[in-house]
Amino acid sequence: MPQADSPPTEQPHRFQKRGFSGEKAIKFFFASNAGLTIVILALIIIFLLKEGLGFFPGYQRELQVYRIAGLEFVDISRKNLTAHEQLTSVLNRAYYAEINGKCAHQMRRSQEASALFNAYTDQTGPTRDLVISNSQAEITPNPEMLAALRANFDKQKLKALASLPATPHLTANERRDLIESIRTRAIDSTDDPALVTALAEEFAAAREKQAEPLQAMRATIDTFEAAGSELSSLVSEMTESVTATKEKIQNADILEKDRKTLLAAAASAKDPAEREKLTTEAHASLADKPDVEGPIQVLLERRPDCIKTHAALQQAAAGIGSQLPAALSQPEAARLLKVARNTWPLFIADLAKTHEEINDWKHDTPVPLTTAISSFLTGKDWVTGGEWQDFYGILPLAIGSLMISIVALIIAIPSGIGAAVYVNQFASSREQALVKPVIEFIQAIPSVVLGFIGILVFGTVLRDLSMLDSLQWIPGFPIEERLNIFTAGCLLALMSIPTIFSLAEDAINNVPSAYAEASEALGASRVQTTFRVIIPAAFSGILAAILLGFGRVIGETMVVLLVAGNRIKIPDFTSGLGTFFQPAHTLTGIIAQELGEVPLGSVHYRALFVVGILLFTVVLAINATAHRFVNKMKH
Amino acid sequence: MFDPEKLIRKGLPKGHFKDLVVRSLLGGTTYFVVIIAALLFGKILIDGAPVLFKAEAPFVDFEFLTSKNQTLHVFDDAQGTRHQLPASEYSAYLAKHEGVPIHNEQTYSYSGGGIAGPIAGTALLTLGSMILALFFGVSAAIYLSEYAKQSPFIHAVRLAILNLAGIPSIVFGLFGFSVFVLAVPVITATPSDRSLLTLPLFIGDYVMSFQGWNSSLMAGCATLACMILPVIITASEESLRAVPQGFRDASLAMGATRWQTIRKCVLPFSLPGILTSSLLAITRVAGETAPIMFTAAVAAKDDLPWQGLKSPFDVLSSQVQALPYHIYTLAARIPSSEFTQRAQYGSVFVFLLLVATLSLGSMILRAKLRAKLKW
Amino acid sequence: MKTITTLFATAAMLTMAGAQTLSIKGSDTLGAKLIPQLAEGFKAAGNKGVKFEIAAEGSTTAFPALANGTAQIGMSSRKIKDDERTFCRTKGVYIKEHGICHDMLVVIVNKNSPLAKLTKDQVAKIFTGQIKDWSEIGGAPGKISIYTRNTSSGTYKDWQKLAMGGRDYPSSSLKMAGNEQIAQEVAKNKNGIGYVGLAYAKTAGTKTLVIDGVEPVAANAKKYVYARLCYLYAPDKPSAEAEAFMKYVESDAGQDIVRKVGFIPAKDL
Repeated sequence: MPQADSPPTEQPHRFQKRGFSGEKAIKFFFASNAGLTIVILALIIIFLLKEGLGFFPGYQRELQVYRIAGLEFVDISRKNLTAHEQLTSVLNRAYYAEINGKCAHQMRRSQEASALFNAYTDQTGPTRDLVISNSQAEITPNPEMLAALRANFDKQKLKALASLPATPHLTANERRDLIESIRTRAIDSTDDPALVTALAEEFAAAREKQAEPLQAMRATIDTFEAAGSELSSLVSEMTESVTATKEKIQNADILEKDRKTLLAAAASAKDPAEREKLTTEAHASLADKPDVEGPIQVLLERRPDCIKTHAALQQAAAGIGSQLPAALSQPEAARLLKVARNTWPLFIADLAKTHEEINDWKHDTPVPLTTAISSFLTGKDWVTGGEWQDFYGILPLAIGSLMISIVALIIAIPSGIGAAVYVNQFASSREQALVKPVIEFIQAIPSVVLGFIGILVFGTVLRDLSMLDSLQWIPGFPIEERLNIFTAGCLLALMSIPTIFSLAEDAINNVPSAYAEASEALGASRVQTTFRVIIPAAFSGILAAILLGFGRVIGETMVVLLVAGNRIKIPDFTSGLGTFFQPAHTLTGIIAQELGEVPLGSVHYRALFVVGILLFTVVLAINATAHRFVNKMKH
Repeated sequence: MFDPEKLIRKGLPKGHFKDLVVRSLLGGTTYFVVIIAALLFGKILIDGAPVLFKAEAPFVDFEFLTSKNQTLHVFDDAQGTRHQLPASEYSAYLAKHEGVPIHNEQTYSYSGGGIAGPIAGTALLTLGSMILALFFGVSAAIYLSEYAKQSPFIHAVRLAILNLAGIPSIVFGLFGFSVFVLAVPVITATPSDRSLLTLPLFIGDYVMSFQGWNSSLMAGCATLACMILPVIITASEESLRAVPQGFRDASLAMGATRWQTIRKCVLPFSLPGILTSSLLAITRVAGETAPIMFTAAVAAKDDLPWQGLKSPFDVLSSQVQALPYHIYTLAARIPSSEFTQRAQYGSVFVFLLLVATLSLGSMILRAKLRAKLKW
Repeated sequence: MKTITTLFATAAMLTMAGAQTLSIKGSDTLGAKLIPQLAEGFKAAGNKGVKFEIAAEGSTTAFPALANGTAQIGMSSRKIKDDERTFCRTKGVYIKEHGICHDMLVVIVNKNSPLAKLTKDQVAKIFTGQIKDWSEIGGAPGKISIYTRNTSSGTYKDWQKLAMGGRDYPSSSLKMAGNEQIAQEVAKNKNGIGYVGLAYAKTAGTKTLVIDGVEPVAANAKKYVYARLCYLYAPDKPSAEAEAFMKYVESDAGQDIVRKVGFIPAKDL
């Protein structure tokens, strides 16, 4: 039979055949789910770019309007006006520091007396208010209730009197009299105790007396202040006109966009009548091209005015500079005077340069896109929602993020790695069983809870600590704001310790035991083995742990939003380490704070997405570096 | 009897002191961290526990958990007794004592009643996002551990997982806002103006319009699911790989298909592991604020998510309160005073208790699992 | 059976997308205290079925929400701007304005500050950063900490117009999420100064300042320099719930609540 000779057809096995197509479908299903991760990552990138990239042309347009409407021109003069105001402020502070320094004794006495009285009213205030509001005639007081409230007040009063603050500059007699006058005070009295008033008067008199020898200085400052008034009124006049121009241009932009929307709607409308209506509306909303040339020419005509005013101010300032007192006796006053003296020539030089700046300024120079990009990346101001001009410069935010991360890492690196080394190398198994779960549990604390602790407890504790006399040697103490870089950094440290701890512990654990055994066999002690053999071997893993901890810190939102203090300003680095006790705002915080409030599609909205792109890139770069270290360790 | 290690240690008395210093320094930092954590929990426990627990049976004050969030009214009645009533009881009180004056009235937003709304919202958000993340995450993990061979595709998937895991939560918030709130497709008869694209469906007036789900439970769940996906995938893959290769080999040798092998011989053994690690993922999902700020959360809402709806599906398209966002509101928007403390510390305590229970549960389960499944 | 239920459910979903809730968005000044209490009063007055959603992130949030239809009523502590009105119009929403109450922006300082009064000029100089130290205006020496609202707030912009002559806030100012938070921080900082709505002026630990000789109390609203009107905005064709609520707010019962919370009823001036 020829059939027997023919080779058997390639029949798959029964098992294989059944469900063959199904198997493939199942595999495809799982593969597509795995591919979902790529899709999500791609979507994140695409949508961040889609919303974000429109920012730069939009910002370019805003800067262009800033220029053609003449706002930039006004800002040349305003810069000098601000400098003048700052200088006046410094001089005023020097003047008052001199006076207050000379009557420091009276000032302290007055302050202590009122502090004592305030401490008393703080404690008794609520109960007192209750008594007063319930004894008003028109609500027919209930005697029972009044008595109860009264008793409550008396109790609080005794408690308050027992815990009054110390008054080292008041004599024992004065203090006794003051307390006595508080004790016998009528409940509805609103006058301050006699001593408080007397001391305040004494202080005022002392100030007046000390001001007398400084009359010349006062007059100098006043002349200087007055010298700026002409510039000030010029700036506010110009401000009004340029803001009006800017508004016109912006409205025209809106109408133009409006018209496009209407036309688009008209194009897609099915009903001809509807289409007709939309088209007419679109044509009606066609804006007249706003007249930019006119107002700007009016503005430019004021150039000579501007230059003249600046020259006058320069002349006045040069004259006044020499009239300032040679020296002041109080250290703070002398310091401020020195600051004023040092900035004086700079101020005058700036004024001298203004002349050229004003003449060189051209309203029709186009703003290139690169300017928009560079002023975003290196701009020192993030001003939004203002009346004048919005600026989107991320420098203050980036610096805030960075400084908070530095504080967090300075705390978290030693404690995280120290704990990892200890738990892995030295701790007994019972200790391990205690420490590991606790640290793991810290990781589970939601960040908003840490922020809550920071705002309600930690910030206040930190500020109270900073008031202690024994801690005044720490730079930056006493702190001004309870919510600041340091507060946020401490809480973020707590967040990143578990990350650093568990990754570093893994890295140490992964060092082959042969290393340790060989080291000990050579006679090294445990500490020597740990620090000379194990840690160097685990080094790249530990570095990766630190980097991943950094990535976690810089991307954290809720803690910094609640606790960092939200001040959008590059910190004042002249205060040394005290800089870390200033408030800041962060890249993450600004997104969380402002995204909910911006109109969709506006330049501000897009700016927040660009901040998101930046954050995304930075964190990804950090993580990629960290993973390179991990891989290095594996090989 | 003879322990070589002891011998070595004894031979080194020289560095003993230094040894001790280093050891105690390291121990000090470790316990410093532990003590800080203990202080933190202690503070919340002391201030928060009294809100939830009481001295007499049944020891738990369910009212705080089950009543809605309201404004707190604090006032004195004519007898000088101080009342603290949430708004609903306050209006009942006024109705009962009509014409009787009250004094010293003060009001505190968000401080009266309980936190039923935020709890329910967080529960729904967690449930929704975990269902999504587990479905897609476990499927992806099955592919990675059971089917995948070295290929550029796998490499790309692993890279994507790695990168997704590192993205800051606020960026997920931006992503969720721009995609789920503003861009995903919906089927509707009246497309919104800002729709990115509309596709006709030829069923009545209905079109598919890419206009997003608005700020809603759905959008929040989807955002959170994307965020947690890499964690679920990694944990599930680990559990799947922990099943010995012999199980698969035996099953395949018996003639079972790959899918049968996965279904009968791999998944059942790895499921406990997957569920245990997903408990930890729940703590993360429940605790995140930044991703839901713009996608799902609302500060004040009268009804529980499922109340007052015309159709049961509306629950998905309405905004919800959420516990972490509620805590943010309590921390940022209202002052801390003796009357608001109850709401503030109570909410934080409940939240922390929830998270602690979940992570403790996951730890215990994991320990049990390790003891039970030894191959 | 199951399929039928599913079909019904799908149909229901398609026809009734979005439950009829009354969503109110906008100003924190109004939304943190007044509107929730008006809503509670509204419900107590026999409108139990209405469901409120209130988000108070700042006046600027009101108008996009109205335009996009995510809110039925917008609260604002400032007047709507032209470009915002145009924006809403492009989305087909014509907006109607309801002035519901007057508010006064009160300058507060820490209770322990010796200061009791300021002139309008001094206030402007402090908030624009020209005066940096309390000693410059006769207080105890100390660097002034300025607490302002965040940029989305109507109060932030109103203050810029009313008190600062349109100039920018100094970058040293701290931006706070709400009135309560400003009061809270000022109460804790002896060098702090801030501005809040009248309803928040009585926070413990702070005291209000007399401006140009006028004490900031409701009776002086006409003389006080930083007084303003607060608004609710609704589309010209509001939903039935929104219309009923607006009516309630403008009724005597509603205006009583306005007074009780610490604002000045619209018709008192």
